[in-house]
Amino acid sequence: MSHTRSYAPERVHGYAQIRDYAAIGDGRTIALVAPDGSIDWLCLPDLDSPSVLGALIDAERGGRFLLEPEVPYEASRRYLPDTNVLETTFATSAGHVRLTDAMTLPTGALSPYRELVRRVEGLAGMVPLRWRIEPRFGYGAAKTRFERRAGIPVALSGRDALALCSWEAGEPEYGEQAITGRFKIGEGGSSLLVLSAAHQEPLVLPSREDAEVRLQETARSWREWAPAREYSGPWREAVIRSVLALKLLVFAPSGAIAAAATTSLPEEIGGERNWDYRFSWPRDAAFTLQALLALGCAPEARAFFSWILHASQLTHPRLQVLYRLDGRAEANEEALSLAGYRGSRPVRVGNGAADQTQLDVYGELLEAASRFASATGGLDRDHGRRLAELADFVCESWEQPDAGIWERRSEPAHFIQSKMMCAVALGRACELAERQLLPAKHGERWRREQERIREFVETRGYSERKRAYVQSAGEEELDASLLLAVLAGYDQPRAPRLLDTVDAVRRELARGPLIHRYLGEDGLPGEDGAFVACSFWLVEAYARQGRLEEAAALMDELVPLANEVGLFAEEIDPATGDFLGNIPQGLSHLALINAAVSIEESRA
Amino acid sequence: MIWGALVGGLAGTLVLTTLLRAASEFGLTRMDLPFLLGTAVTADRVRAKAIGYGLHFGFGLLFALAYYAIFLVIDRSGFLLGGFFGLVHALFAGSALVNILLPVVHPRMGTGFTAAGSAPLLEPSGFLLLNYGRQTPLATIIAHVAYGAIVGGFVSLAS
Repeated sequence: MSHTRSYAPERVHGYAQIRDYAAIGDGRTIALVAPDGSIDWLCLPDLDSPSVLGALIDAERGGRFLLEPEVPYEASRRYLPDTNVLETTFATSAGHVRLTDAMTLPTGALSPYRELVRRVEGLAGMVPLRWRIEPRFGYGAAKTRFERRAGIPVALSGRDALALCSWEAGEPEYGEQAITGRFKIGEGGSSLLVLSAAHQEPLVLPSREDAEVRLQETARSWREWAPAREYSGPWREAVIRSVLALKLLVFAPSGAIAAAATTSLPEEIGGERNWDYRFSWPRDAAFTLQALLALGCAPEARAFFSWILHASQLTHPRLQVLYRLDGRAEANEEALSLAGYRGSRPVRVGNGAADQTQLDVYGELLEAASRFASATGGLDRDHGRRLAELADFVCESWEQPDAGIWERRSEPAHFIQSKMMCAVALGRACELAERQLLPAKHGERWRREQERIREFVETRGYSERKRAYVQSAGEEELDASLLLAVLAGYDQPRAPRLLDTVDAVRRELARGPLIHRYLGEDGLPGEDGAFVACSFWLVEAYARQGRLEEAAALMDELVPLANEVGLFAEEIDPATGDFLGNIPQGLSHLALINAAVSIEESRA
Repeated sequence: MIWGALVGGLAGTLVLTTLLRAASEFGLTRMDLPFLLGTAVTADRVRAKAIGYGLHFGFGLLFALAYYAIFLVIDRSGFLLGGFFGLVHALFAGSALVNILLPVVHPRMGTGFTAAGSAPLLEPSGFLLLNYGRQTPLATIIAHVAYGAIVGGFVSLAS
């Protein structure tokens, strides 16, 4: 991807636009970098740990790591091709400099527990730069001490520590709860700043040579991984960027995939629809398996599937809506006393949706199991037994109301998409049992209950007036999640009612190429934007229905809505194009990949 | 009686390691003795931890034998006396052993006089290991007193 545009970065009350952020990561945590060279988000040591740089959710007290020219400038950015290494070029009247940012991957040399490398290269002229790091441990609430180790400035807080190693980047000075520096760089010059983090161990203070080698090796490692992905269609650049973004969200120590890198970026600026997405949702299993297997990421797919079945053991046969990245089930939600992104409060950590009942999850998981079994040739016996118990649980539970796929905090209801996915769950269980991958003793019951569910959906979940399936039983409201009936195979893709439903979703929920989840009340004040994943689901639904021209045309409209480096947040404001919600959002990128792959498969 | 010292050394090191690990989990310290010892041998983090635990238990047995020798010389033993030895041991470790001697032999650990050079450096521990957290001396003393008491107790039982 080449540099897309050059512009002078702006902030509103200290906040960059959500769409301004690029992500760098190392498979354990992710940092978000703004075009003005400020890293505004970094949780340490892991993605779901408290933030140390959290200006994203409190510009005053959150902490940041700024590195920018001291004179007015324009910035342009790109990822180095096929990598998650970010390159920002600053153009000033005094000259040009290039900033390369990466979270490095460990090498054979003794590597820091976590390492963020920022390399500056002078391209032309002589450019004055300044840097300033304000570490704020524990979401800004923990006390921080500043000291020196072997002459290197460090910040300390309890079991965590940071060292700021710098070369050719000016003499580090202590400011007010910050370490700062200024330097000039000329053509051909090179400076390096390294943030070394330790957790429950002594700090590793890297040498410049080792940090430079790790930066090169990190780029090489990404470059070797990305081109091996198996997609050669017209949206390859977007697909590869999406799978690279997904790879960032894979929590390597466990194989879990985080829904997004951030917490509490609002679905409505100034509103209260602010959620912590640094958890893994079993719901995403089918989308994830589909995308990873289609792109030849079998090891990641296997790890994620194993992780889900491992994590859900403690709550078996009930599937919790979400699990922590280390597999634990607790996700207690609390509000932090932070200002919130552009005043969007509360800032939540933890996620109360964990305790909800969402029946569609079972369908997603059994659909994922079916895909996994087809791709790998089978399921192990213990997994098969547990999946059969899940199917039994669906038989007992499907008649209950639930919170639905959108995790609505209003009263539970009989969401039609949930019922459809229960039918899918039992259908997949029957198919797997026929292939002797699941114990078949309850097969007859599964088939009988599947028929009962279908009867419920067809009699109470379809509106003749709307000519579409509806959000919940007996209501008339539409819901974009009903597109998943096509994607998950609730019925034949070109079944008349599904064709009508897809058309109705486009007709009633679309704003330009973007699709809202729904338009009615959901128990929370305010409104959200259009949901990126739903928009790509519509593309995939078209593709599966053989409507390839519509699919490709919509895809062509959606892909350019990514930010300048190819990332998507959860939502987009159709009126302004602003991003809303957490970023980068795994589900958005999964949906993009699956849409692109489905078009190619349908063409084939 | 020497078997009492060895068994006590093994059990004491087990307890000491557990206490220090617990202190780390509770955010009291970043002290990680197996990591410090293992990285003297290898830069590979995983191998360093494995080797470090082996070395740590080896040193635990050696120190138990040293305690045993002193018990023999003064012809007294017991968990109280062992606990006192543990206190002295902890103070020695914090003021000299890890603070002064380990950086001398550790190829990857810096001292107060070292700037980041060509070799990767481990953060030096500082006096009483205070660089690893203000509660580190307390955690270290409690862990070593427990170690000494267990060694002293086992030697006393065996005799």
